[in-house]
Amino acid sequence: MDNGMESMLDTYLFETNSLLDNLDEMLVKDEKLGDFSSDDVNEIFRIMHTIKGSSAMMEFGSLSSIAHHIEDLFFYIRDKGIDSLSSQHKKELFNLMFRSEDCLRGQVEKVESGEPLDTNMDAFASEINNFLKKISNAPTDASADAKALADTAKTDSSASAPSSEGNLPEDPGAVCFIHIFLDEGIGMENLRAFMIINALKECELDFRYYPEHMESNPDSCATIIEDGFYMAFDSEDTAAKAGDLLRTQNHIRSYELMTASGPEPEPAPVAPAPAPVADTAGQPAPAPHPEPAPKAPTPAKQAPATPVKQNLISVNLMKLDDLQAIVGEIVITESMVTSAPELNQLSRDAYDNFMKSARQLRKLTDDLQDIAMSLRMVPISGVFQKMNRIVRDMKQKLGKDVRLTLIGEDTEIDKTIVDSIQDPIMHMVRNAMDHGIEDDVNDRIRAGKNAQGEIVLSASHTSGEVMITISDDGQGMDPDKLLAKARERGILTKPESEYSRKEALGLVMLPGFSTNQTVTEFSGRGVGMDVVKKNVESVGGVVSLSSELGKGTTFLMKIPLTLAIMDGMKVTVGSSIFTIPIANIRQSFKIQTDEIIRDENGSEMVERMGSFYPIVRLHRFYNIDTEITNLEDGILMWIESSDRSFCLFVDDLIGEQQVVVKPLPVFLNSFELKNYGVGGCTILGDGNISIILDVPSLYTATLENI
Amino acid sequence: MSELMNDQENLDMYDSTDSNENSTVERCLTFESGDLILYISTKHVIEIINNHTITTLPLVAPYIKGIINLRGQVLPVIDLELRMGKGCINSDEKTCIIILDINSVSLGILVDSVRQVVDINLKNVRPIPLKRQQKLLDGMVIMDDGSVFMSIDCQALSSTDE
Repeated sequence: MDNGMESMLDTYLFETNSLLDNLDEMLVKDEKLGDFSSDDVNEIFRIMHTIKGSSAMMEFGSLSSIAHHIEDLFFYIRDKGIDSLSSQHKKELFNLMFRSEDCLRGQVEKVESGEPLDTNMDAFASEINNFLKKISNAPTDASADAKALADTAKTDSSASAPSSEGNLPEDPGAVCFIHIFLDEGIGMENLRAFMIINALKECELDFRYYPEHMESNPDSCATIIEDGFYMAFDSEDTAAKAGDLLRTQNHIRSYELMTASGPEPEPAPVAPAPAPVADTAGQPAPAPHPEPAPKAPTPAKQAPATPVKQNLISVNLMKLDDLQAIVGEIVITESMVTSAPELNQLSRDAYDNFMKSARQLRKLTDDLQDIAMSLRMVPISGVFQKMNRIVRDMKQKLGKDVRLTLIGEDTEIDKTIVDSIQDPIMHMVRNAMDHGIEDDVNDRIRAGKNAQGEIVLSASHTSGEVMITISDDGQGMDPDKLLAKARERGILTKPESEYSRKEALGLVMLPGFSTNQTVTEFSGRGVGMDVVKKNVESVGGVVSLSSELGKGTTFLMKIPLTLAIMDGMKVTVGSSIFTIPIANIRQSFKIQTDEIIRDENGSEMVERMGSFYPIVRLHRFYNIDTEITNLEDGILMWIESSDRSFCLFVDDLIGEQQVVVKPLPVFLNSFELKNYGVGGCTILGDGNISIILDVPSLYTATLENI
Repeated sequence: MSELMNDQENLDMYDSTDSNENSTVERCLTFESGDLILYISTKHVIEIINNHTITTLPLVAPYIKGIINLRGQVLPVIDLELRMGKGCINSDEKTCIIILDINSVSLGILVDSVRQVVDINLKNVRPIPLKRQQKLLDGMVIMDDGSVFMSIDCQALSSTDE
């Protein structure tokens, strides 16, 4: 596959995926209401139409054929009005649509992974067709006509040809018309028609065409299939010339030259696109009268919506990463330049001038950095919306009535972080559905709760962090049960009685802990919360939970806004400079010798705000030579990460700086420095390297593995 | 310096005698580490730098001197002598870092001094007769003047297992 094809495929996948996301969101929303709004019916029709067209273009037959059948189905539904469906049918329709969406997604995934597509989609297609037959038979009086209409719309355009002869568009200036039919089943009829029109216009022929705006209005497609399209000419000569040219064009089944017999009195195609449909549907079936009402505003709504210029572009994430890296370099280089020692040799005026420009530069680079950062920010709604679907599916399978409430969907977060927290969130929502919400509705009612369970998914910004909570109002967790379970699994590290409530709850995050007795389809594989915790921690976040028996469980995730840049505090130990993430620092202080408390091993501790914290001497742990070994001479940094808190002894503080995080060279991976508190490194303003400390792993390495 | 000149002459001789043969000649950079003369194919060599600040890393093997910032790229630096299990390099003005790219793993090696680039016929490279004694060397070649150059095993160099 060459490059052009590759990028087309990229675009195709991006478009199709976003259309499917769109569809998913709509379906979930509509299912909650139990009804499709007529706008959504149109929208689904449009989505399917686009997928059909682009899939056909990319020669993905299976995708195109499913989309085609759904399009047919929605053509019918749009035509009859959604109200013509009974609620039973609507329910079936929702299920069918969710399954079709999954089916389409499955195919798209195959395209993504380069696997061959399923060639035989007949079974699913006939299912859709059967449903179409079912609903088209069901409505009482209009059944036969409706079915006929659906068939007509699909294939039989020749049958409608004679009747459409009278449907000449209203164009008083026109002397004659050419009525053109396209080949059957070529797809994207409106665009093909428009291309023919363009070809003629290029030959400097002057004419008008109907339906108008066919190129931007995908709805006109159906009209063109059914009724063909018209060109209106002011003189017969031009029409004759056009006729000659038409012979050279592709995809034309037949065309017909007609002279206008004066202004047509027939009022039929005033608004060309929907009119023939309204015409045929309205006459034989007077019963479903309310339908023209919702239909009338739709073309009006769509017409202004389509020409809106697309102001979004999709950019490869790699390019953004590169941009981010370069911006980081610029920021570093800038401070290298502005702090160069050679500047001291400048005269005072020259120096002032230089600093003035330097400040200007600093401001610009700051702006540049902000913008580069904001490019990577995406709203979290994409992840949240997927949860809607999961809740919906599990609701049906588990037979629990649960509603999902989303709060703060528009909270923005770094793209790479979004990708890595999607699975943890999904897992927690599944857990909440499966274990959190009571199995028996009566249990809920007895506990005085609403019969319908609720899961709240919320996201909000705090400074430099995003908080995501997943809470349910289910049965909550029982610390005693958790302890018993942990004992069974042999993962207790101290006597049961010594576990505080918080610690007991924390047990669920240990590897190999799963409270569910039986493994279900959705959760309870025992690789649950510990993986969640690991994933969240890998992006620098923390997970904590609180739970009250009988009231529900809340998981709280704190996640940094971005991984690439962070605020750090530079500290020295000997000749090395370390950077501690500001987010982890609670306090820095000096102490007197008499404040140090020692245990029987001589391990040092210090009391802060009523609690005791161990002291970790960084120089000792890392074997760094330093003159400052007396606790009085150096500085203690009180740092914490989720539930781990301790004091780090360092020589001195240098100051705060925004740093660009770089990973250590892969060559060093075998030393597993990540497990010993080294989170990465950063290049300082003077070109030197500082090691960034990773607080959680530093704690584990220094205090847990003694 | 005189030694260097000698080498150069020998090299020329070497070139003239062997150039007619249909041989596999590779350009190699020779350098000194400890009392050995080593060589590595120039296709792996990116550049030679000196006077660079090396940031030491805690808790790594002693032969890893640390990391350097090379125009925004963070690279590890290995002390070759320590890597071969000998004493550490005494830094002086001739000490320098050779930046290598071995199968897209970038790293620097700290050596005593760099000599020159020579063409070495790979056919003349002999295996080292002592079995499993060497950590890092995988061949030796005797030059016409009787000096012996040792070949560095790039694979061994680019992995951290000993």
